[in-house]
Amino acid sequence: MLPQFSYVRASSLREAVKHLSNQGARLHAGGTDLLGCLREGIFQADTVVSISRLDKLRGINETLDGGLRIGSLTTVSEVAKSDVVSDRFPGLSQAASQVASPQLRNQGTVGGNICQKPRCWYYRGELHCLRKGGDMCYALAGENQYHCIFGSDNKCCIVYPSDMAPVLVALDAEARISGPGGDRVVPMGKFYVLPGDNVEKETVLEPGEIVTEVLLPRASKNLRSSYRKVRARRTWDFALAGVALAILFEGDKVKGARVVLSGAAPIPWRAKEVEEIITGQRLDAKTIAKASGASVKNAEPLEHNGYKIPLFIGLLEEQLAAIAKT
Amino acid sequence: MKGKNEQIYYESGLPVPETPEPGHQPKPWGKTHVVGKPLPRIDAYQRVSGAAVYPSDVTFPDMLYGAILRCPHPHARVESVDTSDAERMPGVFAVITGKTPEANVKWPYQNGVKTKLFDPICRFEGEAVAAVAADTPYRAWDAVRAIRVSYRVLPFVSDEKKALEAGAPAIHGKDNRVGKPEVYQRGDLKKGFSEADVVLEESYRTECELHTPMELHGCVAKWDGDLLTIWESSQGVYAVQSTIAEVLGMPLAKVRVIGHYMGGGFGSKLEAGKYTAIASLLASRTGRPVKLFLTREETYLTVGNRPPGYMKLKAGVKKDGTLTAFEFESVVTGGAYPARGTGLVDWVVRELYTCPNVRTQRIDTFTNTGVARPFRAPGHPQGAWALEQMMDALAEKIGMDPVELRLKNIPSFSQAQPGNPPYTTTGLKQCLQKGAEAFGWKTKPKVKSSSGETGHIRTGVGMAAGVWFVGGGSPPSTIIVKLFSDGSVNLNMGASDLGTGTKTVMAMVVCEELGVKLDKIQIENADTGTTQFATPSGGSKTVPTESPAVRAAAVDVKQQLLKMAAADLKTDASKLAIVDGDVIVSGNPAKKIKITKISAFKNRGVLIGVGYRGPNPPNRAINPFAAQFCEVKVNTKTGEVEVVRFVAAHDSGRVMNLLTYENQVFGGITMGIGFALTEARVLDAGQTGKMCNRNWHDYKLPTALDVPADMTAVPIDMPDDEANSTGAKGLGEPVTIPTAAAIANAIYNATGVRFTATPITPISICRLAAEQGRKG
Repeated sequence: MLPQFSYVRASSLREAVKHLSNQGARLHAGGTDLLGCLREGIFQADTVVSISRLDKLRGINETLDGGLRIGSLTTVSEVAKSDVVSDRFPGLSQAASQVASPQLRNQGTVGGNICQKPRCWYYRGELHCLRKGGDMCYALAGENQYHCIFGSDNKCCIVYPSDMAPVLVALDAEARISGPGGDRVVPMGKFYVLPGDNVEKETVLEPGEIVTEVLLPRASKNLRSSYRKVRARRTWDFALAGVALAILFEGDKVKGARVVLSGAAPIPWRAKEVEEIITGQRLDAKTIAKASGASVKNAEPLEHNGYKIPLFIGLLEEQLAAIAKT
Repeated sequence: MKGKNEQIYYESGLPVPETPEPGHQPKPWGKTHVVGKPLPRIDAYQRVSGAAVYPSDVTFPDMLYGAILRCPHPHARVESVDTSDAERMPGVFAVITGKTPEANVKWPYQNGVKTKLFDPICRFEGEAVAAVAADTPYRAWDAVRAIRVSYRVLPFVSDEKKALEAGAPAIHGKDNRVGKPEVYQRGDLKKGFSEADVVLEESYRTECELHTPMELHGCVAKWDGDLLTIWESSQGVYAVQSTIAEVLGMPLAKVRVIGHYMGGGFGSKLEAGKYTAIASLLASRTGRPVKLFLTREETYLTVGNRPPGYMKLKAGVKKDGTLTAFEFESVVTGGAYPARGTGLVDWVVRELYTCPNVRTQRIDTFTNTGVARPFRAPGHPQGAWALEQMMDALAEKIGMDPVELRLKNIPSFSQAQPGNPPYTTTGLKQCLQKGAEAFGWKTKPKVKSSSGETGHIRTGVGMAAGVWFVGGGSPPSTIIVKLFSDGSVNLNMGASDLGTGTKTVMAMVVCEELGVKLDKIQIENADTGTTQFATPSGGSKTVPTESPAVRAAAVDVKQQLLKMAAADLKTDASKLAIVDGDVIVSGNPAKKIKITKISAFKNRGVLIGVGYRGPNPPNRAINPFAAQFCEVKVNTKTGEVEVVRFVAAHDSGRVMNLLTYENQVFGGITMGIGFALTEARVLDAGQTGKMCNRNWHDYKLPTALDVPADMTAVPIDMPDDEANSTGAKGLGEPVTIPTAAAIANAIYNATGVRFTATPITPISICRLAAEQGRKG
């Protein structure tokens, strides 16, 4: 059962920011994550601030420099179905279409997807874990089959659940943020927070701040991108392991690469070892094998998630081979 | 329109079976004209439109909402419960605990074990500690949260093997065994293994599956004076009635349980829940109706499961495919109390194939986990997981086709039932042969095909068979067929329709027997106040139990009609027959009378036919058989498994309705896919003992995309005339017995790796890859 809260539907961004600056205020966009969190008592909300009236935050437009601007209230379905997105950034299109289920994609928003709360079953359960202000992470020594192999900082081993975030990081996207102190733009690669920096935060958002849009730089025609996740069932599931690729080709050689993993770490995880190995190379079997193996070189698997090592290797082998052929 | 003889309530041209002389059994139907057809549900409109009132839809103007405070620990002693804050909250009408005088009642588990309704010792997470009734569900839950409980947390054990270890927390004061080990033996095991050319041994593990019917568990309880009426989502209203009457110390006549519609049960709604008693007590205390439906999280913790288990199977076979010996051991847990649904793990090992030397042993243990309830074919899918993978391995070892190996070992009598009775019918051979033919088993590729970017997606095929330990139905059942003066019919039946189509099938039986049109038949069912006694709908016995009684009641109506018509037609009843809603004189069809014009019937107003379920034939085994075939694709890089197609051949006696038959088959395959590939309860066994995955996101039911679009039901339509007067055997449970093993065999065929533990997921496949990598 949802707890009691008051509800405000802001009529301007300024008003929304003002309400959200109050203690205990929570943002409501699609609500698919917020309502679950409230029902499960993960956090309280004195006021739920709806931004559904802020139509300026909807839609996908081209920017002056030839990139794309995606309003944060755009639904995940709209991104998945957008021709311009699938033309220029097929990886983002693929990520959007792999999010959750059709119903959730119709309701969930881009802003909500990149700002969602973790899915760790201890965090979502009745236990007062470190991330909720408690004194221990139960997953580190518990049932951690769905947890991270990188970046726990031995504090909290969630994986960041978003599918769109790793692609946005790979595509060098930025998030525009409005807050009490005005606007700022943060690269998606610096948007997420590791447990070692702050175990109670997943993103750099400060109280009162709202992501208003996501900005994608112009895509070169030699840029290929993809996203694929492996999950425990064929839909309505988060990634056991996912990989976002954004590779700039020069002929059949890799000129530049971004490889970002989901289901791997508390933040979208850049596999820089892979990027380094493939840059300047043809994506032949040997390079792919070497690069895929390197993806998990520094992994620190927990008791129940060692399977992610061969899984990430296998997934990268498959996806690098696939992108070489597209 | 067919002129003056047109009957609006009766099918014309539909031959009605001969009416037996009073005191005689009706002859087998032979060819039927309505029964067996693919007819849609008679209540489909109500169900689809939302007009059907399920127990969760029941509402009253002055109704309150109940909610239960549950123990958050797997094992704890309740030291104190402070309800003072909760009682003062607005809208709260009652708070009850173990200290509330009328709530100090005993709750029955199996084996005669009883505890207090609110027992001070909570032996599993989710045990009831207190309850609230308030004017809104929100206020009820706010009040639950305001109750302060002091728990002394006790050591717990989650795993059945650990429960048997020395020093494990004793859940009921002694060791954690539920009774003595169950041992079954026939023949000479040592001799059997010595005769074998090949002996294989393997350990298997099946995980705990949680019950997930669409409609949550719960009820609405309402008192009128000393009469308690309960609308409960139930598989058996009479079972709920007897438990609640016992717990509350009431006469059966004063407890009326109604469950016309219900949204699925699968075995978890065969019995009353504590929620039923609690709702009744809250309603009594407040003098207002109380609705108490559990949340999904509560049902996952408290309304039962398919017990997890460890199994070990050793099997011997000769080179020619003759099975010589099976030795089977299992350790299971039904949770914190003696539970139903923990047995029969070994049944397929005892029964499915001819094997002279068999020994099985089952140890049931207590653990601090939710109490099991029967789960679609209790024990059987687990046993089949072991046996049918073993059969596959034996076949490979002796170089025989798996279907051939099974065909070679088909029994003609029950080896496991007392007295070794012969089967009335056994369609196992037909299931194997027709299923294999429909699947194209013989033409399956010899070499595994590969696809994908790097040829890493492998295709494989597998099959498995099954038998269900009952399925013939049995007495008691009483059915009343009421014929109204206009010729329309009311069918009165105590049994619940779980969504399987029971009502539709019974209406078809009436239509077959009387000729009255389906839409002129009204069914009244599952109400202890107005319908007759029926055992709960479960065990795949509802159709073979109820349909002969329905037929008998319709025959009773016909016999009375003919006797009455004989007076009008001035002839003997034995010379009369029913044709197109008329009673005619055989050999002289011009001499006839419309049913509705029969004088004695008109005088009486309503004609009552009563049918009873007679006994099954003595010394006969009545069992349904099954064989399923599937094709899978396995991504060897990521461990993803896709079930591409399924063919299921089932012998359930006469196919009563081809549509409901297919529904059952596809539903059973779907559940079997969940068992094989996605579902498993996860407990935080090493830390808190709490359930990790208590919602639909974390407990992974198969979705529509996990189920192949290409599913084929191959009906083995073999009316079992010796079994009962409709020739039907059960179907609902057999359909899920072989599924998981067939998938495991297909995955083995694709990958060469045998997965002996459920569920087979990318996690388990990659985990194995990691282990093999470490071994080098």
